[in-house]
Amino acid sequence: MIQIQDLSFTYKGEKTPALQEIRLSVPDGGFLGVIGPAGAGKTTLARAITGMIPHHYPGEYYGSVTVNGLDTVETSLNDLSRQVGMVFQDVESQIISPMVEDELLYGLENFGVPREEIPARIDEALGKTGILNLRDRSIASLSGGQRQKVAIASIIALHPRVLVLDEPTGELDPRSSRQVFSFLKELNEEQGVTVILIEQKIMLLCEFARQLAVLSEGRIARQGETREVLAHAEELQALGVNCPRVTTLSMLLTDRSGTPQPVCVNLEEAEQMVRRFLP
Amino acid sequence: MIELEHVSFAYPEQGPSVQDVSFRLEKGEFVAILGANGAGKTTTVRLIDGLLRPTSGRVLVAGADTRESQVSERARRVGFLFQNPDRQICKNTVREEILFGLQTVRADEGEAALQARTEEVLRDFAFTGEEEPFSLSRGQRQRVALASILAVEPEVLILDEPTTGLDYRECCHIMDRIRRMNEEQQTTVIMVCHDMEVVLDYARRALVMAEGKLLADGKVPEIFRDSALMERASILPPQMIGLGLRLGGGLENACSPEEMADAVMAKSNKKGGAQHA
Repeated sequence: MIQIQDLSFTYKGEKTPALQEIRLSVPDGGFLGVIGPAGAGKTTLARAITGMIPHHYPGEYYGSVTVNGLDTVETSLNDLSRQVGMVFQDVESQIISPMVEDELLYGLENFGVPREEIPARIDEALGKTGILNLRDRSIASLSGGQRQKVAIASIIALHPRVLVLDEPTGELDPRSSRQVFSFLKELNEEQGVTVILIEQKIMLLCEFARQLAVLSEGRIARQGETREVLAHAEELQALGVNCPRVTTLSMLLTDRSGTPQPVCVNLEEAEQMVRRFLP
Repeated sequence: MIELEHVSFAYPEQGPSVQDVSFRLEKGEFVAILGANGAGKTTTVRLIDGLLRPTSGRVLVAGADTRESQVSERARRVGFLFQNPDRQICKNTVREEILFGLQTVRADEGEAALQARTEEVLRDFAFTGEEEPFSLSRGQRQRVALASILAVEPEVLILDEPTTGLDYRECCHIMDRIRRMNEEQQTTVIMVCHDMEVVLDYARRALVMAEGKLLADGKVPEIFRDSALMERASILPPQMIGLGLRLGGGLENACSPEEMADAVMAKSNKKGGAQHA
């Protein structure tokens, strides 16, 4: 359970707050999607949940963040990192080893995972991210997309209870992006891992996240069940957030038929909606 | 304008990453290169740019073989917008950045002309010129990179995933500006892009690649309607086309939600009264 109460944060040396009066709670086993235009405070929010704010980034901090009952200000980063894993937007700043297997090993050894357990953890993490074949490769020889998968594998090998990902599929093609989302869904549903996913890929986000939070200028402009948030498509567009085209179709058919249509988030739902119009 | 004749390319100690690819692009086209990670898309645009030379075959840009032409000559003709703007920005202010690009390829025009051109481009992009690129957002930095390329007025513009990391509004700004350049100056645009909605909205022709080979070459909405091809190339078509294909009955011709809504209402026998499930 993540509970954020009236969080405001201004980075040291900045005048404008990066986050203002954020109130948000994510239940255990929740899947929250976070979206918003550039500069809205998405990465700052991720840093606040993982405790990097205020431990790494000083500034003016008001309010509180608790992760599984631990207050992120009072708890050391070391203890927090056993609860929360984070995949950074900038993969280059996350990966520290020259070889793929070493990158996974590094985190596991730091966490004091028993030696005999380590090979199975590495196999599992590489297998789930679909990169078993990259185990012995050097990081330098990998593409951007492959590096992104290594960064994700190295975090999930640690079995965090909460996973925060900041645009983890930026370099991936649509099929690989969908694989990563499906895999997060599996972790979420089968192992109850709480997922907080920052993404610009609105179509995928709406298909997979059960809840959405829309950030704009450091504040939460809207939050709630994904469909409930998408029902305010026009408001989102005014903030610079697109919505999936099937959702736009829902809105257009509602307008043109004069009958409220369901808010669709995927092709299956859109197909059902349209079929009801056809003779 | 651009011609690839049986072009193959292999990176040292790796298998071929482009194999026997041939196509021709005319001036003023807007082409997207589609395919999964590792399909050979980036290698293909680097071959066109002359950053890479083919292992076999020929690449001709405006009639000149990239193996024989000068880097300075190619830089004048071909602009390259990278995925990550930080790989191309190197100056401390936006004005210096734009001027620097002009000085490297249009030095023969004299400093006064280049300064005037810089001011013109700054106005066009609504920059003051004093902005420091590295304190701008990623979307703004991508606009700086685009501005310094447009300043040179290349005949060919290559975009390697130009919208990665940008939000929706930034993505529209960048793509609309590129479309304007394509329409007004007949700049040939070649774009590698993973966002099929962007491809559908902006490109007119698509080259589909898989495992280094060219699988197909055709018009944009049609190519997305070829389900077998999309499957082979690991591409998910844009949502409205995917939906149209599931529904059939002429609805597969709709490209946008608006066209889909029009087509659905035209076929509907429940105008003004469809039931809500």
